[in-house]
Amino acid sequence: MRNAVGREIPERIGSRDVRPFEGAFATSQTGAKAARPQKCAPRTEDKLLPSIEAAIEACGLSDGMTISFHHSFRDGDRLVNRVLDACARMGIQGLRVFPTALFPVHEPLVKHIQSGVVTRIEGSMNGPVGAFISGGGRLAEPAVLRSHGGRWRSIEAGDVHIDVAFIAAPQADPYGNATGIRGKTPCGSISFSAVDAQYARHTVVITNDLQPYPVYPMEIQQGWTDYVVEVDEIGDPEHIASGTLQLTRSPTNLRIAQLTADAVVASGAFVNGFSFQGGAGGISLAVTKFLGDAMESAGIVGSFGMGGGTKLLVDLLHRELIRAILDGQAFDLDAIASLREDPAHVLIDPGFYANYDSRGCATYKLDAAFLGATEVDLEFNVNVNTHSDGQLLHGIGGHQDVAAGAAMTLITVPALRGRLPMILDRVTTVTTPGEVIDVVVTERGIAVNPRRGDLKERFVAAGLPLRSLEEIKTEAERMVQPLRRPVFGDEIIAAIEWRDGTIIDVVRKVEGWA
Amino acid sequence: MDVRIGSEAKGDCIVEAHSDVRSNIEVETKNAELLRDGIRAVAQETLSSLGVGDVAIRVIDFGALDHVIAARIEAAVRAVTPGRGLPLHPTVDRKASERDRPRRSRLYAPGNQPRLLVGIELHGADCVLLDLEDSVPLSDKAAARILVKHLLATIRFPKEAWVRVNPLGAGGREDVTEVLVGRPHGICLPKTESAQDVLDLCAELSRIEAERGIEEGSTWIMPILETARGVLHSEQIAASSDRVVMLAFGAEDYTRDIGARRTTEGLLFARSQIVAGAKAARIQASDTVYANVDDEPGLIEEAQRAQDLGFDGKGAINPRQIEPIHRTFSPTKEELEQARTIVEAAREAEKRGLGAVAVDGRMVDRPVLERAIQQIKYAGRLAGGEDRDA
Repeated sequence: MRNAVGREIPERIGSRDVRPFEGAFATSQTGAKAARPQKCAPRTEDKLLPSIEAAIEACGLSDGMTISFHHSFRDGDRLVNRVLDACARMGIQGLRVFPTALFPVHEPLVKHIQSGVVTRIEGSMNGPVGAFISGGGRLAEPAVLRSHGGRWRSIEAGDVHIDVAFIAAPQADPYGNATGIRGKTPCGSISFSAVDAQYARHTVVITNDLQPYPVYPMEIQQGWTDYVVEVDEIGDPEHIASGTLQLTRSPTNLRIAQLTADAVVASGAFVNGFSFQGGAGGISLAVTKFLGDAMESAGIVGSFGMGGGTKLLVDLLHRELIRAILDGQAFDLDAIASLREDPAHVLIDPGFYANYDSRGCATYKLDAAFLGATEVDLEFNVNVNTHSDGQLLHGIGGHQDVAAGAAMTLITVPALRGRLPMILDRVTTVTTPGEVIDVVVTERGIAVNPRRGDLKERFVAAGLPLRSLEEIKTEAERMVQPLRRPVFGDEIIAAIEWRDGTIIDVVRKVEGWA
Repeated sequence: MDVRIGSEAKGDCIVEAHSDVRSNIEVETKNAELLRDGIRAVAQETLSSLGVGDVAIRVIDFGALDHVIAARIEAAVRAVTPGRGLPLHPTVDRKASERDRPRRSRLYAPGNQPRLLVGIELHGADCVLLDLEDSVPLSDKAAARILVKHLLATIRFPKEAWVRVNPLGAGGREDVTEVLVGRPHGICLPKTESAQDVLDLCAELSRIEAERGIEEGSTWIMPILETARGVLHSEQIAASSDRVVMLAFGAEDYTRDIGARRTTEGLLFARSQIVAGAKAARIQASDTVYANVDDEPGLIEEAQRAQDLGFDGKGAINPRQIEPIHRTFSPTKEELEQARTIVEAAREAEKRGLGAVAVDGRMVDRPVLERAIQQIKYAGRLAGGEDRDA
């Protein structure tokens, strides 16, 4: 069947019935949320266990179950590999791994897939695991990719039942309160795991810094935690930046950033109380900086900036250019320090910022957001998951949630990456539908979604270089011979969920070239 | 003989070539399935346009655009088989530009580095200066002039594209012969010391224009004065040819030449001399570059001083410097309003038969009025936008 962005998707994917994407805000839920089994801890409950293996045993983890992790250590994470190694040693097979994201450091997952320890993955697959699946590595069912808010929703809705949530905690107490912003190796908020901790059959907090009760702030709470394990190492915070956290120096990218900031300033939303979200990519960081300077010179004070927290965002708070930071994950150590010291730097979780099935999302309060893309098409659809050669290499992150939520969403993307044109007739994969994208900024000009005639008028008045996506595409294609394109077979290797649980696209296996 | 042209930098490629019984093309690239055929097509086209049937090449791609690949192949083939010519038909139909168009910024870009040339036309510079001189090492000169030629022939410049060639006796003749195929708006002549230097270049340009069917005299010249002799001769240099539309100042070489420090005082005489020389010939003058890219306030201050002295523009070594330079060398809203008021008042006075008129208590005499008219015209041209290549 064909969904609302014109993508051909099957009625069943693996063992699940597909609900096709109907539109960004088309569906609504009825009924009650899922829940975990009741448990009453005795007054003298001792939750400490001596090892990860002991916790695996205590939770009764066995073949075919689902385990979950957060990604707050990003490429410095040590826990996922440790737990899976332990499962392999204990002879457990057929696990479904349900992380908030995977990174290159999780390359050993490949061998666990090959040996059958892991047979399903539902979570963003950055790098080697994605490449392995794309290259023919088999899972029992296609992978499922969800946005931050979409993942939270899927747990609350009971789409995914977690058997054991393993939560890496930079600091915890023996009673199961845990935080990510203190300890020997702070990684920023671990609140991505808050929903896992509340809905999993068993919740295990694993820390390398066990401290006397009470540890705070309590992103993970005692009432949710079954067991606590102390280990020597859970992750290396030096790698939380994943190499992305460098203000771009490329003149092309700086131009894109400057045009983006100029567009925001010209949009009409740039007044006192202005709010925005900036990511951690080189261009986004530069936009954040340029916007901050523009706010300073215009004397504008924003209501809030939304994280991923970065040094740049913290600087805006310290310069009193924004009143608060709402921060779901930290991208550098400065942001983590600020979470400890600045009361206006507020810890939030993905349910707060992005959950479709909720009574309110922080993203809906955003005036502007600037997000990256691997590809954009003439319908303004955005792909962040696959490369032009069809390889599945990236997760969704908060892309869908922020794009859908913000009053104005700007996509920053170079028209050419090397020889690869990034504005296409059709994106390889639709991650985020064009209906929630307002502006596409390239080094060759700014394209405004025809839905937003109001913005177009303002941009023209401000003298910004407006072009159509067709014009930008043609100009880029003038400089390179046409590319070959992957030919996709029928086999589906991953399903891309929209944030409401419908399927917006599937990633199929590449079978040839045309 | 085996040759190897290009580099592993992003946006570049390496082309290896050697003579063989027949042509053969090998392609290596990261996204092989996507890109190999396209790169091979560029290679084939380039070889056949060069009329080559006996050179084997290997293209190792690092994300180069078509014109970069073509340029690297041409350079490699010509190194293997000297004497092969310049058969390139530009895809861009570039018109000659107006003599006195606004030239607030001249942005230098190294002519040997594709990585830094990608999108160089997009930053709004009034003049992009593709450099073959100081930023290009000797061993790279031949390949760079071919690269610049292909770039000029392919890229549509919204404003002006210039080439800074080497001094004529040091490769400049070869530079001019090569790059004029790509039809730049003008040639920057570094270390110009006399009117004769300009006339020598004029002779070259006229010869090549005639050969290539380009309208004679349509290629502009911007002499760069960066020695004591050059500065002292600025009046004659400015007046030496109708091709000369602007004098540019190069402070780094100048201070070295005269043994001065690069201070405001150390440069004051040269700056004023150059402005006077240029203005005597009714052409523009452009100040030297500001080397500290991260110091925007410093740049603006220096640009403001240059404007006070009579300069029309300033050099830039990074695209980030263009916007502040343009801001400085464009009339402000207040200045424009003031100019309009002056013109309006003068018109009113004339209508009523009054000889003189005062605006805000200041006497408006003829120079003031002329300056106001000039400012309004200039602002109109800046607002007129881009005359994009077809």
